[in-house]
Order: sequence, then structure tokens, then C-alpha cells
Amino acid sequence: MIDTTLLVQMLLGALLGLSVYLPLACGQLSLATPGFYAIGGTLAALLSTRVRILAGGESASGSGYPITSLLLEMLLAAVLCGVLANGIGAVVLRLRGIYLTIATIALVEILRVVSLNLTITGGAVGIFSIPQPFDQPAGYALFTLGLLLLVCWLCQRLAFTRPGLAMAAIRDDEIAAASQGIAIERWKRLAFVLSALVAGVCGVVAAHFLNAWNPRMGNFDASITTLAFVVFGGSRTWIGPVVGGLALTALPELLRPVGDLRLIVFGLVILLGPSLFPQGLITPERLAAVAGRLPMSLRQWLGLGKVTAQGEGTP
Amino acid sequence: MSCRPGPSPLLAVDQLSCRFGGLVAVDQVSLQVQPGEIFGLLGPNGAGKTTLFNLISGITRPSSGAVHWKGMAITGAPSHRVAALGLARTFQNLRLFSSLSCLDNVRVGLHRHSRQPKLQALLGTKAFAKREAELRRQAWHLLESVGIAELADRPSTSLSYGQRRRLEIARALACRPELLLLDEPAAGMNTTEKGELAELIRRIRAAHGLTILIIEHHVPLMMQLCDRLAVLNFGRRIALGSPLEVRRDPAVIEAYLGSAHQEES
Repeated sequence: MIDTTLLVQMLLGALLGLSVYLPLACGQLSLATPGFYAIGGTLAALLSTRVRILAGGESASGSGYPITSLLLEMLLAAVLCGVLANGIGAVVLRLRGIYLTIATIALVEILRVVSLNLTITGGAVGIFSIPQPFDQPAGYALFTLGLLLLVCWLCQRLAFTRPGLAMAAIRDDEIAAASQGIAIERWKRLAFVLSALVAGVCGVVAAHFLNAWNPRMGNFDASITTLAFVVFGGSRTWIGPVVGGLALTALPELLRPVGDLRLIVFGLVILLGPSLFPQGLITPERLAAVAGRLPMSLRQWLGLGKVTAQGEGTP
Repeated sequence: MSCRPGPSPLLAVDQLSCRFGGLVAVDQVSLQVQPGEIFGLLGPNGAGKTTLFNLISGITRPSSGAVHWKGMAITGAPSHRVAALGLARTFQNLRLFSSLSCLDNVRVGLHRHSRQPKLQALLGTKAFAKREAELRRQAWHLLESVGIAELADRPSTSLSYGQRRRLEIARALACRPELLLLDEPAAGMNTTEKGELAELIRRIRAAHGLTILIIEHHVPLMMQLCDRLAVLNFGRRIALGSPLEVRRDPAVIEAYLGSAHQEES
């Protein structure tokens, strides 16, 4: 049912879900993800089609685009998105609640309109024949899976270390968090930058995978779609956005057999998901219930076990 | 200035005012808190006590006046900076982190003292895990010191009102403050609980070498607990002194009971 091409799209969806999740982990609803995704994608498209050196000399075996160049593009996209997000974050993160969200939507729209009107980005037509580092979709699938696992691992570490606790505190109550000595602006900005990094790197992979890139890749629709990943999957653990990203990317394709009905079914799922599961499919409570059946060591690694300080060391 | 008791106060509030539009919530209030004392703020509802706390702890910016911490001006400094200097507070309306367990609420309080090498934290090394366990133990001991250690794993939302107030105190203590600002810690408690709370406050002062600035409505509790008291009414400081002096002050009696003149009109 799920072919490799769809699998790559699902994995990219999961990464974008995580990008929306990171600011949400400290209570900031930012829809800037498609903006940074577009920056990453455009950067990759430009570099790989215009910079000869990156494509490797004639001596390179076969016609494949060197993976080192792909990694270099990812690094550049990460740096660019990180620096931009740091600067933009310093300004927009002063806004609270829905105003922050609106500002990030505006950011995405500005980037879209700019790339639509620049000649270097190919205007509305975009950039074509982006070279392929992998011959088969399976190559992309493995590479993207590796990337997703890396980001998941980072989120997992984040959740159970000092930054994660600080972010959870900020999400629950900013005033109380600040009163505990937490520099809330700094942590919000960190989450915003991490979100931009993930989106930018994701854009690089997507540009090569899709073979073409145009300004429509990062628009308001994409903002809403990525937000749906998180709303559907649940925003309280990193597992939620991953599940949401995988499921909601796959669903329209899996529903193809039912023909035109699929849009209606997809709409129903989007509508019923949040009303039946207001906190998303995956919540810490449901995870804990499942974890009760897992081995203790795995439970501890996931941070789901009842690990009391009492049990850990007090006499 | 009318009050200049000790030579070097820990906290000095000087002619502090705060206006919200036309309302003067705090009106040129001055007071000085000496190291080691329990200083009480009394006053009817809307007297400006909590606003004064918010001005000191950096949540609200004062319109004029100054706050000095150990002689250093901290007027208008952001809350996380104020907290880092050694002023921790609790909240009248309870601001616990609702998605976190009791233990994790206290661990948030340990934020500034829980820095670890980034790479070790990322990789989850043995050294990191050991230090993390140590921090958990510290948090657990703080819960124990306020008498709610058995609730460590429970979500903070499952606690009773009195337990929540204790949890807020434990969280504030985790910041390792020198001055603890308690905003109506006895609100919603019954008489027995209030007695236990007074006992707890004295105990933590001794155990942590604290200075305490406390807002409370319950006059008998304040009379037996505080070394000195200031009374606010309509944003102004109307009395200052020992509990005995304050109790006899005509201005205080008027603020609480109303004057004969007002009764007639």
C-alpha cells in the first residue's frame, strides 16, 4: 500500500510536525515552519543547480549528486535558518499568543511573495531539474529516516533535561517560570531557532527529493497542514507530532481507492480527530498506560516510569 | 524619611509608586527589611500589598521610586534577574506548573542550580545521571521539609489548597533565596493549618537562614509571627512598627474598623 515515495513524504511530514512542536513545547504557537522549509528548499535548489563545484567533477562516478554536497547544503541551510530565526525571534517572540501566530503567518507570506518576485528563484515557475543524490526513493527514505531519528533523539534528550523542564514551565505559566529564575525570552528563542533548523534542513532534503522547487512549497496552506499534524497527533510529547505527520501525510494517498470520497473522509478525520481526542492521539497519560506493559529499562529510557527521588537515593 | 531602623537593610523600598491609569495602586511606599527578620505587610483588600510584591519581584514596573537589594538598585529589573539575586516568591493565586508533578515543580525551582555540561546532558552520561539523581534528591528533601514528600509523583493539580501552598513554598526554597516573599500563604487554610504554617515558616527561616517578607490577612497569625509590620491602605503606608505598636495605631484601627465619623455619614 505504502510505496517508498509516499514513505519519504511521510517522514518529511513527521519532521515538519516536530518543527511546529518545538516552539509549542514552551507554549509558543509559531506557524513559521513552512517559511524556513522554503528557505532551506530554495537554498538547496539554488546551490545544487548553479554552483558547479557542488555537483562534483566529471571524474565523479555516475551522474549522482555527491552526498557530501547534500550534507553541506543542509549545514548551510541550518546556519542560515538559525541566524535568521535568532534575529526574527528576538522581535516576534515579544508577541504573545495569537499575535505571535499572526506574525509568523505574515513571515511565511513575505517569504513567499519575495521568492515569487525574484528572478533568481525562478519566479512562479520555480527551479527545475534539481540533481538527485540518490537514484532510488529508498535512498531518500533511509536518509530521511536517519534524520528523523536524529531529531527525535534530540527531542527526547531535550524533554528530560534542564531545557525541557524550563520549556514545560514556560508553557504552563510564564510569570511563575520567570520567578524561578528562568530567562523565558532566551528559552523561547532557543525553541524557535531549533524549529527553524529542523524546517530548513527538511526543506533541503525535500527540494532534492521533489526534483523541483517553487514558491508554493511554503505558503499558508502548508502552515495549516503542519499545524494539523501536531493538533491531530498531540502536542504534549514529541511522539504526537511524528505520528500526526506520518498519518496525515499518508491518509490522502491511502484513501485513493475510494475516489472523490477521499477528500470528504480526510476532512472528517481532521474534524473528528480533535473533537474525539482534544489533546491529540498521543498524550503522556496514554503513553504511560502503554508503557506499563513495556520492560523497565525501556520505560526509564523513555522517561515514563515512576522514577521517584525517593526510590533513587533517599534512605 | 520616617523609617530608618537598621544600618544596612537587605531590601530597601524607597518612595515606590505604581499607577494603573488613574488608579494609584502603590503610593510612595518606603520600607526596609533587615536581614533575618520576618516582616509583615498587612492591609485591607486592594491596599496594594500584592502590587508591591509584583514591583519588588520585577513582574510590574514601578511608575517611580526605587528598590535596592543589598544597596544595589534593582528597580524594574526583569523577574528572572531578581530571582537570580536571591529573592524568591510565592503567589496569592497559586501559580504552580499544572502539567508537572510536584517533584518537577520543585525541580523547576532548582533551574539556576541545575546547569550541567551540554554534551554530557545530550549524551546522558553516567556523570549527568548521577547529578540529575542528586538534584531529584534535593527536590525531594525540599518537599519533605514542607511536609508533602509523599506526594512527589502526583500531578500538582491533584493537591489540596493547603498542600499547593506548601508546594509553592518548596519551589521558592529551591531557588535558594535569601529573601522569601510569601503572598498570603495561609489563604484558604483552616485554623489548624494556619498554626502549622506559622510553625513551618519559622522552621524554614531557621533552616535556610532566610529573611521573610509576608503578606497575610489573618491578623492574629501576623501578630504572633512577625518581628515588624507595615500596614498599607489605599496604596499608602499608614503604619510601621512592632506588632504591638501597630495594633494600637489609630490609623490602623480606622483602616480596619472605619472611623466613627464614617459610620455616621
